[in-house]
Amino acid sequence: MHRLGFALPRNSMSRPLLRSIPELRILIYSSQSTAKAAAGTWTKRCITTTSTSSFTGTSAQIEPTNAPPPSSSASVGTQPDPFPTEAARIAAASVQIPQSKRLPPRLPTPAPVPLKPLSESVRELLPALRAQHSHYVTVHIHGFPYLVTMGDQLRLPARIPGVVPGDVLRLNRVSILGSRDYTLKGSPFIDERFYECRATVIGIEAEPMRVEVKKKQRCRRKTTVRNKMRFTVLRISELKIRTVEDIEADAAAAAKSS
Amino acid sequence: MSFFRITLHRSGIGLPHRTRGVLRALGLKKRNQVVFHPAEPQFAGMIMKVKELVKVEEVPRALTRDEVKAERTPDPGFWVERMVPR
Repeated sequence: MHRLGFALPRNSMSRPLLRSIPELRILIYSSQSTAKAAAGTWTKRCITTTSTSSFTGTSAQIEPTNAPPPSSSASVGTQPDPFPTEAARIAAASVQIPQSKRLPPRLPTPAPVPLKPLSESVRELLPALRAQHSHYVTVHIHGFPYLVTMGDQLRLPARIPGVVPGDVLRLNRVSILGSRDYTLKGSPFIDERFYECRATVIGIEAEPMRVEVKKKQRCRRKTTVRNKMRFTVLRISELKIRTVEDIEADAAAAAKSS
Repeated sequence: MSFFRITLHRSGIGLPHRTRGVLRALGLKKRNQVVFHPAEPQFAGMIMKVKELVKVEEVPRALTRDEVKAERTPDPGFWVERMVPR
């Protein structure tokens, strides 16, 4: 995780101790958040209706939401294969190591299930959806839906622990994937193998500290409430829909390995 | 042994002290709280006293508090694919 080649006990060492050792000072600077007053734009929340045919052929390709947590084996600087072999995905997801809440997930959740055969409407209309020039997705981050497209900036109302600007997040909970004329709806989510959606962390922000003093008339007691909201700003850097052949190849590999 | 999964659906505010005592005995303090009790006559009797306020389900295993919390926690919806060198 660090250029010295071994994991340093950053969380267990106090700040004065870290500052006293020059090699460890970068651990302090790397996680400082910028305390600028945030003035980012909210993503647009309008939902456009499709004019012509829409298909909902994804009821068969649902992954269960309650599944064992994955193991974290990704290391800094390496790029894990976005679609490793089905056997590797299943093997990695079946190892249950409890993850610290302070770190973001490093492997796809939940455990992958064998992809069921694509329905006729999906096989027929997915190429048409792919052929259109612009697409949107409704991604769900911690249960909250965000309707985004390529290049959108997204300001999440929380700081994702353990990420710094430059990290690439792979979004894997998409409920609607659409374009001008076609919409692919999942129930509740579309299978991850249909798309690749990546977001880059471009900033970690915080607003000024809000101080509210609560006091009633003719009573001397005061309560002070402090609040400082933190935000993570993402930019949707990639939104790609895969071909039917690729999806079915994945299904075949999964069926062979299981 | 099977368990009753009891969820407090309606609050006990404004109800007689006896009823609120039964909710307290079951361990229900807030709305939508989930508690587990063995499926035995004494707990069935308590449920009957507050049957209009609770939702009950019979389950084979009692979940812990963390498991109940994990059930209602949504998925993060992302995973970190590439990290810059820290």
